[in-house]
Amino acid sequence: MTTTTVATPNDYKSDLKPIWCPGCGDYGVVQAIYRALAAVGRPPHEVAFVSGIGCSSRIPGYTTTYGFNTVHGRALPIAQGIKLARPELLVLVAGGDGDGFSIGGGHVPHAVRRNIDLTYVVMDNQIYGLTKGQLSPTSPRGLKTVSSAYGSVEDPVNPLMYVLGYGARFVAQGTPADLSGLASLIEAGLRYPGFAFINVQSPCITYGQPEAQLKAHKAAMKRLETMGHDVTDRLAAMRLAAEYGEALYTGVFYRDPNPSPTYDAELVERRRAFGTLDRARALDRFVPH
Amino acid sequence: MTSDLVIGMAGAGGDGVISAGEALMSAAAREGYRAIMTKSYGPQIRGGESSFRLRLATRALFTAGGTLDFAVALNWNDFLRFGAELPVDGRTVVVYEEDSGVAPNALPLAGVTPAEAIAAPIERIARETAGTNKAKNTVVLGLLAEWLGLSRDDLLAGLRKRLAGKSTEVLEGNERAFDAGAAFAKAHPLRADRRLESPQTTGAERMLVDGNEMCAAAAIVAGCEFFSGYPITPSSEIMHWLSREIWRYGGTVLQAEDEIAGMGAVVGASFAGRKAMTATSGPGMSLKTEMLGLATIAELPLVCVNVQRGGPSTGMPTKSEQSDLLQAVFSAHGDVVRPVIAPISVADTFRMTVEAFNIAEQYQTPVILLSDADIAQRKEIIDPIDTSAVTIVNRRIPNDRELEDYARFQITESGVSPISHPGMERGNYLASGIEHSEHGAPTASGELHARMNDKRIRKLAPLKARRDLFTIDGDREAPIGLVSWGSVAGVALEAADLARREGIKLKVLVPRLMYPVSEEVYEDFFASVRAGLVIEQSHQGQLYRLIRMFVDTPRGLESLARSGANPIAPAEVLDRVRRMVTTMQRGRAPEPEPMAG
Repeated sequence: MTTTTVATPNDYKSDLKPIWCPGCGDYGVVQAIYRALAAVGRPPHEVAFVSGIGCSSRIPGYTTTYGFNTVHGRALPIAQGIKLARPELLVLVAGGDGDGFSIGGGHVPHAVRRNIDLTYVVMDNQIYGLTKGQLSPTSPRGLKTVSSAYGSVEDPVNPLMYVLGYGARFVAQGTPADLSGLASLIEAGLRYPGFAFINVQSPCITYGQPEAQLKAHKAAMKRLETMGHDVTDRLAAMRLAAEYGEALYTGVFYRDPNPSPTYDAELVERRRAFGTLDRARALDRFVPH
Repeated sequence: MTSDLVIGMAGAGGDGVISAGEALMSAAAREGYRAIMTKSYGPQIRGGESSFRLRLATRALFTAGGTLDFAVALNWNDFLRFGAELPVDGRTVVVYEEDSGVAPNALPLAGVTPAEAIAAPIERIARETAGTNKAKNTVVLGLLAEWLGLSRDDLLAGLRKRLAGKSTEVLEGNERAFDAGAAFAKAHPLRADRRLESPQTTGAERMLVDGNEMCAAAAIVAGCEFFSGYPITPSSEIMHWLSREIWRYGGTVLQAEDEIAGMGAVVGASFAGRKAMTATSGPGMSLKTEMLGLATIAELPLVCVNVQRGGPSTGMPTKSEQSDLLQAVFSAHGDVVRPVIAPISVADTFRMTVEAFNIAEQYQTPVILLSDADIAQRKEIIDPIDTSAVTIVNRRIPNDRELEDYARFQITESGVSPISHPGMERGNYLASGIEHSEHGAPTASGELHARMNDKRIRKLAPLKARRDLFTIDGDREAPIGLVSWGSVAGVALEAADLARREGIKLKVLVPRLMYPVSEEVYEDFFASVRAGLVIEQSHQGQLYRLIRMFVDTPRGLESLARSGANPIAPAEVLDRVRRMVTTMQRGRAPEPEPMAG
């Protein structure tokens, strides 16, 4: 359970070569994750890293943790099973905007309300890259893609607003354009006792919009901590989150200063209170005497 | 005296019909009888009509029986709503509420004259003795105790347990109601003796349990530490029982937001190294299917219970059917072999649930435990099970040497690779739904894909040699063979019993391993068979079709298959068998009957 050596980002880096396009934002995200994991310092074998399907969901394979690249949209339920089965693990979940807010969108509110101690990193690039450029749930209205030849007539999902509305206790946004800022956000999420959500604006270099690349992020991003934003004010966080798609705010939007006990902590308590009976006697309950 | 008797009772919600049945059953268990009880309700969520059917016998039972020997109608409207579920004929003793004003010679039973009809003042006795008509069910217990010869002490013991916490007046009132019922019965002896023979054994340690509860408890014995599922009829009681009990054994239950998430949490728990189970019924099974593919390629052990009901879609959620067999066997993307195991009774549910976990762990595969509503919802009195004699299999974890350069998906001779779990040092690996190398690295190599497919399918081959997952009952050289599975297997076994009493030579094959199909077991069985029946509760005859996909069956093998909620009776099977005998005696091979579409 404990490690005596100090962890370095390199301890979390695997030998697999990413399949991502050169210039993809996800390279920065994985670097930030190496740094965050090293800062928290749990050895790789005590970390479970779960993802769904998509370009970004390849990410667990690029780490030395116990990775699980699962099916499209279902990373959160699987991660919850892992955490409840072994609450002592550090469980990190990652995926794209399609994974989290389209096919898997129904799982997010439940992960939030259960408040199982997970950190969920969404790499939001407003496009489906792996399947070569279709609309994603966060694509802006009017976007022309291979699946919306005459422009999208749908409004996009606002991931920050959704998750704040679900009642999430830790909500942040980052971009690999500010790598050290992103690494500290992920680290804060990992350290937060409960469900933590981090939306990462991670540009798609191949199918993404030119105005949403790293260079543009660098110019446009506004750090919340320099704006006098009160991170304990959910409504203030929501007002800022409402500007998703127009302004690029980075940092912590909301952080519940009085986190309630996590689901997993409650379970550990309950199991302790019950003690452990002999499994071989489980049928005794059916003898009517 | 009789050794086998069926009682049916119906009344309105609040009449305590079901608790009367349960009291009879626990008294019978104490005295050493065997019993099967099924309950049936109207479609209302609360307060509708309810009924039970209880078969009591001195020997082991396979089905809840046919025509009632005793019919108890607290009111006729409710009784008649159950129609064919509570069949009355010329052998039945009918007991009914005198207040209904119906004359014994004018019962509302179209065209049927029962052996005897007794109008009893059930409600009046309850009011006079207990001061409330809530004791009507207790009066009925008194009547039946006297007519059947069941022990007052055993029935009252059950009653006291049920009324625990109530005042002394309530308890005493119920005892008076019971005694007054018994006195009425004594004053009105039956023309035909319906007393039960004494059981040869005592009831010590006999269990009283239904199929879903047994599945849940067996999972605990097998080592299950995690359950996640979503409410669905008729499987929810598995989750109910575990949500109450699993904590005592260090486990966890998560009620998921949907069927997919329930399956996902189980996949996660298994990846984390825990034995895990989910339970559902047909529509839920469809939703879980994608995730089963993930568990197959990531080689994660888990048990997925499907308590079958009438389908497709919502179909008939409270009625039993065996129409998800082909779904269980074939619903997969990719080249998949996934073990499917089916129990035939409540007691068998214990053995098969443990077996499902053992197979899952041994071969690192999802296993489908295919039960049905009949088994899941019926209560049985069964013999004690020696859980200390049960073999428990655990997944093979890597040893020190294997951890030096750990290959999670190592292609071994058996096809089974050592499996680590998060928390295990040096066991770190990437699990994935993507095809992978022995070390877990994603691959698009055709050569590796073929080898991995081969490994994942090859590792399950030893299952086909598991003859203990089949029973063959009867004369090995018999020319007539019956095949049946799940709850309907009991019908085949009972029919075979009847046929043997007529001197007919036949045998019965009951598979518990539904898939992979063991060609050898079927071929051996069919070697002597010239005519036979595959008996099942599905419109298409799914087992018949499945067997014929893999096995050359005898020309005289026919399908006896019918949609759910249309029970197949042992007498009907016997009739078909008799016709086969006649045809064979005439020296002709029987002509197969045409099948349904």
